Amino acid sequence: MIEFLVRRALISALTLLIISLIVFTGVRLIPGDPARVLAGTDADASGLEEVREKYGLRDPIPVQYARWLGLALRGDLGESIRTRTSVAWTVAIKAPITLELAALSLLVAIALAVPAGVIAAVHRNTFWDVLASGVSLCGVSVPNFWLGIMLILLVSVRLGWLPASGFVPLAEDVAGNLKRMVMPSLVLGTGLAAVLMRQTRNAMIEVLSADYVRTARAKGLAQRAVVVRHALRNGLIPVVTILGLQMGALMGGAVVTEQIFVLPGFGRLIVEAVFTRDYPVVQGVVLITASSYVLINLLVDVSYTVLNPRIRIRGAADGG
Amino acid sequence: MAGSAASPALTMAVATGAPASRGGVWQRAWRVGRRRPAALAGAALVVLFVVTALAAPWIATTDPVRTDWAKIRKAPSWAHPFGTDDLGRDGFSRVVWGARISMQAGVFSILLAMAIGVPIGLVAGYYRGALDQLIMRLTDAWLAFPFLILAIGLVTILGPSLVNATLAIGLGATPTYIRLTRGLVLSTKEEDYVQGARALGAGDVRVMARHILPNVASAILVQATVAIPTAIIAEAVLSFLGLGVQPPAPSWGTMLNAAQQFLEQAPWMAYWPGLAIFTLALSFNLAGDGLRDILDPRDY
Repeated sequence: MIEFLVRRALISALTLLIISLIVFTGVRLIPGDPARVLAGTDADASGLEEVREKYGLRDPIPVQYARWLGLALRGDLGESIRTRTSVAWTVAIKAPITLELAALSLLVAIALAVPAGVIAAVHRNTFWDVLASGVSLCGVSVPNFWLGIMLILLVSVRLGWLPASGFVPLAEDVAGNLKRMVMPSLVLGTGLAAVLMRQTRNAMIEVLSADYVRTARAKGLAQRAVVVRHALRNGLIPVVTILGLQMGALMGGAVVTEQIFVLPGFGRLIVEAVFTRDYPVVQGVVLITASSYVLINLLVDVSYTVLNPRIRIRGAADGG
Repeated sequence: MAGSAASPALTMAVATGAPASRGGVWQRAWRVGRRRPAALAGAALVVLFVVTALAAPWIATTDPVRTDWAKIRKAPSWAHPFGTDDLGRDGFSRVVWGARISMQAGVFSILLAMAIGVPIGLVAGYYRGALDQLIMRLTDAWLAFPFLILAIGLVTILGPSLVNATLAIGLGATPTYIRLTRGLVLSTKEEDYVQGARALGAGDVRVMARHILPNVASAILVQATVAIPTAIIAEAVLSFLGLGVQPPAPSWGTMLNAAQQFLEQAPWMAYWPGLAIFTLALSFNLAGDGLRDILDPRDY
């Protein structure tokens, strides 16, 4: 198992290295003088010189890369062209808002998807199954930004129940914060729920036909106990993996959701940065999201290698 | 569809290892269509959207970009069934022409992803070894970029336009095809008819093109039908954010962007483009589910 974990961690490290290479190359593909790209159009000669000096822009490209990577590893992602504050700091301020949105959306998704998936699997090929699958298919097909606009139209414009946009920090006013987070997390959560529900249903169908479930039934356990205590526990393992892999979609979805509901998070930051040609910020946000995706999935894999004996043993047997 | 038999001795292997013959596919299509009317309806709607996109000039006779200051934000009427927008342009016309842009972006991006991903996956799965390892590590890294974040990054480098958005979406979808094709090749490579073709002296390229590719094509095709709706939504999102199709071109995403500013005064501006994206994506998903049943009966 140790060997497997080390191998898994090494692969993740390699992936992170390649990600940094892709991002570094991407920034260099932007037409124009790299110093200009990193310092902004209104930087003067001394500003440009400073950037050239910092990133060693006169050195050969591999040396530049090593230098850039070294700075990034120490948390120095450059400074925003627009605000002149450090990129790491800008991201650190915006991240909690997006993390809150992501966490709430995840909650919405799990609360909707797991019960629906279980019911669909237990009552396979009945009306409930067809209904759940149909709703899930619609959920996959609906563009969530349109869903957001329609929600604003109904709940805010017509009914006046919730504010359409804006943000109140959680620390200042919990109720006010949650009020403004309800619609965004519903919008982001339902898209994820649609995917999760399908996975839960398929995983549960497989588990429900397993021998140990039949044994549990044969010894006279009630349906409820069989499903909840025996099947669900194992059935959810593949769902957790899918959840990890869906983190990318969640981060992407947050960009649009924040745009619609005017939440000043990570997503709004990157869109604003693109429009103002704030390349260091775009670079930093892309690098951080891709790296966190790799780390989250490493954590998911490691945690259930440790928790699940079946994978633990198989992982050790074939060495990967 | 079936890998062509190199000698009569191989016919048995071909018959058991390869998907059913042409007649079988059509028969199964008929059975699936009868059993799943939703899939059939989805396929019909996809065709309808394709026709709409191709025949846009004849269906929507009003110029989709002509502004009319006398008709700003008019509610739906006989003359303008979908109402008019903030510049007095006809909503119906713009939704119909928007089908063109959505279809273009959806279909071409996935074609691009297949054109790059399938050959790379074939080579990686066929030759294995160090090359395979290198390709897979690159693919893993590529997959770590969330689809939309990657598209945003690429558009930042390339500049916003329909072509660049299509490119970005296509490149974002590429790793999926590398992985899928590689996985399929790994399992197909060991089949008797591939081994047989090799034993008879067929070269690598011939084995890949004539024996492996035809047998993995159906699974790739199914993946494409379910990837197209995602690509269509991705184009709408990019255009909505202002990173895709630029005004005044009628894209469903840019229309929704404009609509968001007039939700109180002109809600109809937001209904139709969104409904169009939803219907098109749903149709592709329904048709894709049916296609999976027809081409790959083992996997429900």
